[in-house]
Amino acid sequence: MNALEVKELTKVYPEFTLDKVSFCVPQGHISGLIGRNGAGKSTTIKGILWLIAAEGDVAVFGRDIIKDEMAVKQMIGYVGGGFRYYPMNTLAAIRKAYAPFYPTWNQGKYEKFLAQFALSERKKVKELSEGMKVKFALALALSHGAKLLIMDEPTSGLDPLSREEFCDIILQLVRDEGVSVLFSTHITSDLMRIADDIVYISRGKILAACPLKELLDQYKLAHFSSLADAMATNAIGVKSVKDGYEGLLSCDMQRLNGTLSDATIDNIIVHLEKANAEERYG
Amino acid sequence: MVNLIKKELALCMHPTAFIFLSFAALVFVPNYPYEVIFFFSCLSVFFCCMMTRENGDIAFSCALPVKKEHIPLAKMLVVIGLQCIILLLVGIIGAVKGAVLPAEQYVNQAGISANIVLVGNGAILLGIFNLIFFPRYFKKPDKIGVPFVIGATVVFLLICLFIILRWATPLYSITLNGLNTVNTGAKAAALIIGFVVYIMLSAISCKLSMKYFQRVDL
Repeated sequence: MNALEVKELTKVYPEFTLDKVSFCVPQGHISGLIGRNGAGKSTTIKGILWLIAAEGDVAVFGRDIIKDEMAVKQMIGYVGGGFRYYPMNTLAAIRKAYAPFYPTWNQGKYEKFLAQFALSERKKVKELSEGMKVKFALALALSHGAKLLIMDEPTSGLDPLSREEFCDIILQLVRDEGVSVLFSTHITSDLMRIADDIVYISRGKILAACPLKELLDQYKLAHFSSLADAMATNAIGVKSVKDGYEGLLSCDMQRLNGTLSDATIDNIIVHLEKANAEERYG
Repeated sequence: MVNLIKKELALCMHPTAFIFLSFAALVFVPNYPYEVIFFFSCLSVFFCCMMTRENGDIAFSCALPVKKEHIPLAKMLVVIGLQCIILLLVGIIGAVKGAVLPAEQYVNQAGISANIVLVGNGAILLGIFNLIFFPRYFKKPDKIGVPFVIGATVVFLLICLFIILRWATPLYSITLNGLNTVNTGAKAAALIIGFVVYIMLSAISCKLSMKYFQRVDL
């Protein structure tokens, strides 16, 4: 069963369109939502949570979010980019207002997270660093037995150690509790570490929604000594680098006049976005 | 809904929402347009909405396991509760004033006396403010100023109208003025009409706010 199914999610703004975005997050999987700034990652997440009035269908464990809004939201733990709410209130006051919405709230688990993240409930939100705010948001989202975690750039603002800690917690939740995760990020090293699947969005359209390995196996990074060689090979998104040219090669491309290496997610995004920009602007 | 209301009270109330309740005691000020008391109630709504915006409360609430349409309803129910308290306080303190002060001191030279008709007038003012302010606010929760200015302007115009009626019509200057113990039936009718108007306008306001809020993009 899919934890999350998004079908033709569409939102039209005057200068941006989220265009029939469709993908799914299988149960127990970690899916990374990637794309450049303004690609539509946050809009997609807002559309899923119905924070914006978008068209399309969103189902969580088979239940429609509009028809079953309250029950579906009970199953979701949401973490925004940080905790930007109630700066003048203490964490205790926020938790007291938040916890009663979730009958499955686990106070012991919450206190464990607070201790793990070295958070004091007596502090006000404005007294927390950006990283601590993310940790508080995580503590809230992880303490009510959410079956699906949706996170919008949860690791931005976290130091490397905290990011590692975050990845460990997510992996543990997936393994021990079968939680499913969708999270957007720019930090692709986190994805390489924990993601099973990738949803790649560009200019409001899905370019790829597949297992991470499948995406990585789909391309090779080719290094060329001259632009002519790169052009002759039909490399994707060729760009100048320190000692030559680089481009992506689809694995089914046979001709090659350069050296090959495995493509990373960053390589794939950079070259596909460059190819898209060239296609648009000539 | 109960949890949402508790959250409103715990995290979104500006101190003025409670402080301005004490302004019901202004009915003891001699020769004062007592309807202005209800404007302070409107002002506290404005401050609470400002606080809601500064706290990012609406985005936070929308991610909670609640129906999106319940968010404006909970906010309005809290405001309606506070408005009912100020109406009640004005009625009670006005009655106390009538009981403790001589009749000639009870007469208000700046508007209607602090009797139950004032409470009815206040209910109409608050109902009209609710109808003007909340649907506009919940259409664009980041824009609080314009809905408030429109609502406050209409409230002040109505206050002026009530003052004019007090001096220009025998109904307001004689029948509905003075102590509650005189012309009690007419005054009770004015109070009931005020509350009926308040309930109707606030109910329409709630419906419209819930409808508009469904289309809000956060």
